[in-house]
Amino acid sequence: MSKVMEKDRHIMIAADGSENSRRAVEYVADMLGGLQGFRLTILCLIPLPPEEHFESDKQRDEWLEGERINASALLGRFSEICIQAGFPADKVEAKSSERRCPSVSDCLLQEVEEAGACTLVVGRRGLTMKEEFLFGSTSSQVLHDAKGCAVWVVE
Amino acid sequence: MVEGDPRSKGAVPHTDIARLKERIEAFLGSAKVPARLRVVQDTTDYFRVDYDDILSLGGRHYLIRHYEREGRFGIDEQPKFWVRRAVDLTDGSLKVIKMVFHERFTTNYGGMVFECVRSPAKEGRILELTAGHPRFMQGITVADSAGNLVRVIDYIRGTPYQQYVSALAGDHEEYYYTHLPGLLSEFVEIAGAIAFLHEHGQTHGDIRRDHIIRDRSDGTCRWVDFDYSCFLRENQFAYDLAGLGNVLLFLAGGGDVTTQQLTREGSPALGHLGPEDMNIIFRNRVANLRKVYPYISEELNYVLMHFSCGARAYYRTTGELVDDLHEALKRTEKEIL
Repeated sequence: MSKVMEKDRHIMIAADGSENSRRAVEYVADMLGGLQGFRLTILCLIPLPPEEHFESDKQRDEWLEGERINASALLGRFSEICIQAGFPADKVEAKSSERRCPSVSDCLLQEVEEAGACTLVVGRRGLTMKEEFLFGSTSSQVLHDAKGCAVWVVE
Repeated sequence: MVEGDPRSKGAVPHTDIARLKERIEAFLGSAKVPARLRVVQDTTDYFRVDYDDILSLGGRHYLIRHYEREGRFGIDEQPKFWVRRAVDLTDGSLKVIKMVFHERFTTNYGGMVFECVRSPAKEGRILELTAGHPRFMQGITVADSAGNLVRVIDYIRGTPYQQYVSALAGDHEEYYYTHLPGLLSEFVEIAGAIAFLHEHGQTHGDIRRDHIIRDRSDGTCRWVDFDYSCFLRENQFAYDLAGLGNVLLFLAGGGDVTTQQLTREGSPALGHLGPEDMNIIFRNRVANLRKVYPYISEELNYVLMHFSCGARAYYRTTGELVDDLHEALKRTEKEIL
C-alpha cells in the first residue's frame, strides 16, 4: 500500500447546539466508527458579533466565556458519541473557533481549507422560506461554494 | 461652559462670548442672538443640551437648534432627543449633531427576531470609510470633553426618497415609462453604495426608504443614519439586502402595491395573484408586479421575484443584485427608446 493510501482521511463535522448537527455527528459515527483510516475534527464555530454589540470589554469577555462553555460541553458530548462508535480517541479532535464571519458557510470552508480536511459534514436545519431568505441556508451555501472538498449534508 | 453652568470646567471669557454672539448675528441676524449664552462641552446628558446653547466640539462652536424627528412610513414621528440641528458658527453651515445614545433591542422582521444595537462608534467608522462618497451623508466624529463620540453631519437639504417617488407616481404606466428608468438608474447607484460598504465588511444596518434623502441641490440620493448594527450569525449582510429588496419593490410599484389597495381599486390582477407572488417578508405586498402591471420588463420582474415567496433562489450578495439591476436597466431603457 502506498504512503498516500496509508494517510488518514480527515473528516470535519460542523457542530452547533442544534438537533441537526447532532444527527450529523451520529451519522458519521455510525458510518465510519470502527473503520481504519479516518480521523475527525468536530468543529464548533463561534461567530463573533461586531465590537459595538458589547458595551464593555467585560461584557464581551463574559459573552465569549459563555459561548466557550457551551461549545466545550457540546464538543465533549459529540466526541464521546464518536469514540463510543469506535473512533480511537486520538483520532477525534474537538475544536472551537472564534471568528468574525461574513457568513457561517464562508468560515466553515476556511476552516476546512486550513485543516486540509477532505470532507465537510453539515446537518440540514429545514429552514422556513423566510429564514432561508434572510439568514441563508448554511448547507446550501456550503454545497454551492465548496472547492477541493466533498460535502455531506445530513438530513 | 459658561455663565454659571455647573458642567463648566472653566468660565468662557467674555470676549469669546461676545465673539460667538457676533457670529450668530452674522449668520442668523440680530433677532436670533440669545440674551444669555451657555456653552456646553459635555453631552453625556443630552436632554440638558438646549435650544440656543452653544456646543463646543473640537475647537468649533455649534448653535443648537431643534430636535430631529423620525417617523416610520410617515406616521408617529418621534423626536430623537439625542439628535439636534445646529448652525456651525465657523461658516454658518447647517449641521445635524448626533449625541451618544446607546440602545439594545431585538428586531422582529416578518416574524424573525434578532438582536440589534445603536452604536455611535459604528456610525463613526462608516463616516470615515465613506468620506467623500457621494452616496452617503458626510460628517465627522468628534469626542466631547467627556469622551462621547458626537457625530457632526452635514445637513442635506432635500426630500425623503419615499416622498420623492410617491410624488412622481400617479398613473403607473406613465410613471414606468417616464420616471422609472431614471429612478432605477439612481437606485443602481445607491445599491452599489451598499455593496461598497459590504465589500469593506460594514453594513448600513437599517435600510429603508426614509433613510435615503434626495439632495435638492443636485438630485443625488444619499444614505443616512448608519448607527444600527444587527447581529445575524449566519450572514451579516442579509438584513441590508432584504431592505434593498423592499426599497426596490416600492420603487418598481411606484409605492407599495398591496392586496388591500388592489381590492379597493377592484383590480383584475387580484384574481391572478397567488401566495408565491407576494413579498416574502410582508405577505400583503405584491412582489410579482408584472401580474399587476404587465408592461414591466421580464428582466426587472426577474429581479423583483427574488424577494417573493415563490423565489427559487435568493441574492446572497448585494453585488449580485446590482449586476442583475444593470441588466434590467438596460432593457428598461431600450424599451423607452
